[in-house]
Amino acid sequence: MTSGTLLLEARQVTQRFRLPNGQVLEALRDVSLSVCEHEVVALVGPSGCGKSTLLRLFAGLARPVDGAVLYRGQPLEGVLAAAAMVFQSFALLPWLTVAENVAMGLEARGVDGPARRDAVARAINLVGLDGFEQAYPKELSGGMKQRVGFARALAVAPEILLMDEPFGALDPLTAENLRSQVVDLWRDPATGVNTLVVVTHSVEEAVFLAGRIVVFGSNPGHVREELENALPYPRQERSPEFEDMVDRLHAILTATLLPEPVPTAPQRLVPFPRVHVSEVTGLLDHLLTRPGGKGPVFELAEDLGVDYDRMSAVVRAAEQLGWVTTPGEVVQLMPAGREVMAMDDAARKDATRARLAKQPLFARVVAMLKESEGAVEDEEVLADLTIYFPFIPADSLFGTIVEWGRYAELLDHDADAGRLSLLGLPEGSAETRGEA
Amino acid sequence: MKLLRFPPALTPPGLRRLGLADVAVLCLLGGAIATVVAFAREFEAPFSQAVAIDLRFTALPRYTLYSLSRGVLALLISYLFALSFGWAAAKSRAAERLLLPLLDILQSIPVLGFLPGLVLGLMSLFPTRNVGLELAAILMIFTAQAWNLALSFYNSLKSLPAPLRDACKVAGWKASRTFWQLEVPAAAQGLVWNGMLSMAGGWFFLMVNEAFRLGDHDYRLPGIGSYMSVALDQGNATAVLLAIFAMVLMIVCLDQLLWRPLVVWVEKFRLDDTTGGGPAPGSWVLEFLRRARLPRRAALLQRRAYRSARRAARPLERPFRAVGPVIWRAPRFALDHPVARRLGAGLVIAAVGAVALVGARSLWLLLAQLGTREWGALVSSAALTFVRVMGAVVVSTAWAVPAGVWIGRSPRLARALQPVIQVVASFPAPMLFPLVILLFERIGVGLGFGAVALMVLAGQWYILFNVISAVAAIPEQLKDAATVFRLPPLARWRALYLPAAFPALVTGWVTAAGGAWNGSIVAEYIEAGGTLRTTKGLGSLISEATAHANFPLLAGGIALMSLIVVGWNRLVWRSLMQWAQARFSLAA
Repeated sequence: MTSGTLLLEARQVTQRFRLPNGQVLEALRDVSLSVCEHEVVALVGPSGCGKSTLLRLFAGLARPVDGAVLYRGQPLEGVLAAAAMVFQSFALLPWLTVAENVAMGLEARGVDGPARRDAVARAINLVGLDGFEQAYPKELSGGMKQRVGFARALAVAPEILLMDEPFGALDPLTAENLRSQVVDLWRDPATGVNTLVVVTHSVEEAVFLAGRIVVFGSNPGHVREELENALPYPRQERSPEFEDMVDRLHAILTATLLPEPVPTAPQRLVPFPRVHVSEVTGLLDHLLTRPGGKGPVFELAEDLGVDYDRMSAVVRAAEQLGWVTTPGEVVQLMPAGREVMAMDDAARKDATRARLAKQPLFARVVAMLKESEGAVEDEEVLADLTIYFPFIPADSLFGTIVEWGRYAELLDHDADAGRLSLLGLPEGSAETRGEA
Repeated sequence: MKLLRFPPALTPPGLRRLGLADVAVLCLLGGAIATVVAFAREFEAPFSQAVAIDLRFTALPRYTLYSLSRGVLALLISYLFALSFGWAAAKSRAAERLLLPLLDILQSIPVLGFLPGLVLGLMSLFPTRNVGLELAAILMIFTAQAWNLALSFYNSLKSLPAPLRDACKVAGWKASRTFWQLEVPAAAQGLVWNGMLSMAGGWFFLMVNEAFRLGDHDYRLPGIGSYMSVALDQGNATAVLLAIFAMVLMIVCLDQLLWRPLVVWVEKFRLDDTTGGGPAPGSWVLEFLRRARLPRRAALLQRRAYRSARRAARPLERPFRAVGPVIWRAPRFALDHPVARRLGAGLVIAAVGAVALVGARSLWLLLAQLGTREWGALVSSAALTFVRVMGAVVVSTAWAVPAGVWIGRSPRLARALQPVIQVVASFPAPMLFPLVILLFERIGVGLGFGAVALMVLAGQWYILFNVISAVAAIPEQLKDAATVFRLPPLARWRALYLPAAFPALVTGWVTAAGGAWNGSIVAEYIEAGGTLRTTKGLGSLISEATAHANFPLLAGGIALMSLIVVGWNRLVWRSLMQWAQARFSLAA
């Protein structure tokens, strides 16, 4: 139901990066997406799914390795002049005043003299920062800083406004307030802005702002699904239609984040989610307090004050250990999970060790260690991980393996020598631990 | 339409409202102009060997200003170098791969050894004027100032947050604007702090730069360094003390009038919001200058002049706008086109390679003249000097670590002593060498051991500074924890202060050892009270080769010293630094 003319288009875009450790990560693979005039498009998905990368490609800040980015049918050359951008970290120059920061983009567009002063004053007025023209950014609160960020973008009267998690660094109250102002600005014909592309981490924010929501999947980043959101503006966050939309998006995201187990070859390696031991036990603790020991993943995330992306990673870890199941959106505590929470510390470690030994990734590391008489250089494990999981930064996955291995007294790590060694054997019985 | 608010325009202040601050500004301006004119005249003066140095104290202010001008000029050149060098290294991967190792070597080799070659080369360029000698002195000061500035600029370019760069690109800023309004301001703090250190480092060889013998030639430039060396030659104690006093005065004035205000001013360009804790440093000069109206008035006039100049130039702008793109097309094509770019890079690499080959060949030709006997002397002297350098590092560590921990533990003490230590550390140690040696002779210590003490003078401050700042940066909660668990004093040192200071201590060792190697050239070969004292070592070998214009031996000495310093840096200091960072870094 896109009505306007095609403004921005990504055609089968692929983007790769080289990490400092030399590993090449694919941020986007074969992504196609178009943005039309008068649209508000939200890009959502787990972290590392390449949504911010796509936004930078749209802005012309980077070139894709493969594929093309077009503006009005023409391939982008250099930075897209028709767009302005708002950054999560505000990206204000601390040595320029508010007025000077707002004027940053005007000179390149040939706006000079009195016209520039007018444009700056108007933009500052639009975001309600009158009186702060001569302040320096460090004198302002986070919300005020982001207002400057918006004023800087609005000052150039851009056709397209690109926003990279614009409310991500703000407290909830300030974020809510700014969010509704953004909708007002978009609906206000005086600003000249008629198309928004926003990268966000918050489901409510996407539903509140966007007419079309694009859900990304990760490893490597790709478009999973697109969702039309025809709710009339201004949107009421407590209305049943709004809640409905949020639930639909939750369902889609859950399918992305917690895919139903597909029958795979038993030998296939699965990466262990990069979460801490305490997060998983925290989740189990919380589930114990809930009736029936279950709850939808988004509700759990809200209760525990973490974002859904992190929450689903914790849930996946608990699932791999056999302590919860995830039928649909619901996380259900398993009897094994209940048992493990009832144990004392030593028994819980034993149980975890037994479970970890069955997890294919840990099983592989243990097998590797056994082959080399119980100790292996870090580099060897890292090289192995890079081969099996090219889309995951190997050192961070290695850190997770070490933490869980240490907790379960399965593995030990000597940071000085850079060596991983085997502690207890995966049979997990007490005699191999050499303890009473 | 809503009434829009504008920043209040600057109202031109009336002249009668000028205050004391404005008078001071005018005086400073006049003094600076007079100094520049006098210095330019000195530049232009016909060359004469061994300028007679007037030892009366009335001549001292003029000499001090000459030396100051050389230092400031060298610093300006260093800044230019640092900006271009750092920029190139940060922007191009190829340049980075070439320039960074080069910088690493340049900052660790004894530059003093290049003085003779530089002087002879520049003298042949300007045989009749003083320019050649002056330029040689300025370039020598430059070589002591430039490297850390370049490294600092490169580092801050590399650590610039990506969103800030993106914001400038989205705003459509040209590269030049991004450079002056993003990259240089973001680096301003590092550039000022390192400039302060550079200026102090530049004074180190002041005496040698302004007065030295090369074979049977005696080169001398009017300045406080040559004043000092003539005073020492003649054994004129009053003149020696006067020179020391003038030097201290100059350093204090520079600190108060130039560096303090700059340090306070660049606080504005801090990228992170957090202040370093404690009250911000203040500068009475900056406060005073902020009260002055003249600079603001000058800024207003300048803005007006700029505007009218642009208006006047407008008729010319249109033809340029038509021609401009055509002019730029060729370089832009060269930069954008892959073949052209590769060709250009190839040419640059070829040129660099050719220069390196020619240099290596001429060095080889020089070294080939050395016989086994000379090589033996070189190696045995190098071993002696190496032992002295390490001894100097050990002695410096032995006193500077306890002192540094003691000062750094108390923020109040650190704040009070910081400026004092800064001034003392800026004082060029070689100026004190003759006095120290005379003192040692009184108590019966020869130059063999005395040189170690002199090298301590040259290197100790780096260790002290680093330890103080590392201990001062220990989080308050760690100190509280040590207090709450009632760690006995010895355990507190072993578990808290020493590990926390260790990474900084290693950095201090690197610079202190470098300073000691450099210092050996003047510490092992000293003229005091009209007599020459030497002791066997690589430094004295280099000094002697210079004095007798024995170029093969000089080249051999310099090459050997460079090799030892760079090799030791690579093999020992670097791995020690990595280990210290991994093991004792406070950042989680």
